[in-house]
Amino acid sequence: MGAAGAAVGAAAAVADPFGALGVGIGWRPEIDLSISRLPGVDWVEVVAENLHVEHLPTSLLSLKDRGLPVLPHAVSLSLGGAEDLDTARVEHLAAVADALDAPLASDHVCFVRAGGLDAGHLIPLPRTREALDVLVDNVKLTQSILGVPFAAENIAAVLEWPDAELSEARFLAELTERTGCGLIIDVANLYANARNIGTDPEVFLDEIPLEKIAYVHVAGGVDRDGVYHDTHAHPVRPEVLELLAELRSRTEPPGVLLERDDDYPSDTELAGELAAIRAALAAGARP
Amino acid sequence: MTTGRDRLAGQQAELLTALLAGGPSPPGFDENRVHVERKLLRAKRRRVVGYLRPDLPEALGDRFAALFGAYADERPKFAGTRAREDADAFAAWLVERGELPKPRRWNPFRR
Repeated sequence: MGAAGAAVGAAAAVADPFGALGVGIGWRPEIDLSISRLPGVDWVEVVAENLHVEHLPTSLLSLKDRGLPVLPHAVSLSLGGAEDLDTARVEHLAAVADALDAPLASDHVCFVRAGGLDAGHLIPLPRTREALDVLVDNVKLTQSILGVPFAAENIAAVLEWPDAELSEARFLAELTERTGCGLIIDVANLYANARNIGTDPEVFLDEIPLEKIAYVHVAGGVDRDGVYHDTHAHPVRPEVLELLAELRSRTEPPGVLLERDDDYPSDTELAGELAAIRAALAAGARP
Repeated sequence: MTTGRDRLAGQQAELLTALLAGGPSPPGFDENRVHVERKLLRAKRRRVVGYLRPDLPEALGDRFAALFGAYADERPKFAGTRAREDADAFAAWLVERGELPKPRRWNPFRR
């Protein structure tokens, strides 16, 4: 896409910050060549922390030059963390979003660091008013640094804090109401929480503000230790695709993205998973 | 005065201490799930280290997981530690413990 195309994209982003994306896949260096060959990839998402603005991978830039939207996704902002937000991490996300001409940047509803320790992973928040206030403050600060709209994603939990005051969906809804941020709804994480902490997926989908969905994540997982693990290293389960169809029956999400992070399968298998996502969307769209 | 943010900071630190640094399961949490999460975080950290230093799992073979566990028990990952630093620290720890030979410096004059 040339300068004119980029300008059109920017104008569309202003009118509709979560403009239609289509079906995409998480860009990872291990499958960069597969992604450039795969049919039916409308856009990609990339982990912001793995990029250096000065040295963006050639294979990623070539997708961008072909006109595919490339959206940065952060994993380390620790937006629900009670310690001061590490604004250097937000500035990095902002710089990556800028370098990629992305219409949107995102991270998760979770915390990562506390008490001088780094979990290296997304840890659930207590669903209390106190925790929501902290999250709202951190998201507002993040939005003030980013040059693009922000979206927050629901995570997969294997453990739950005691004394929740809000359902997960109400927690997300109030976050969007108070900050104006969008949502990334991960239906595999919703499935994980249904399995692991008793979330009712139907009630969840009833309670979230569907019009705030920027896009949807889909991924695979596995049962281990009596718990469903959201590994991104196993095939997508039919139950997760059913939740995608259920979501589609309620709203048309602007985008859907397949995430795969390990044990990368063949191009054929990846294409099959993308086709299964399209089939689930078509099934959910039927009246 | 303790604010809500301070209180949350204490609760989050207590949970991460339980998950990463051998602390007790905080009150109100399912101990079994805390154990599952602990294992999961340990495995993820180990996977990242193995990815960044593939020479280590290759050199250690079956012993990689157990030795990484012993290292992680001794040294939780502190905020501000980069993954690459963690991987190199594990390599140095293995040398200190005599589990791996000290890496030889390349010497252009050695024949």
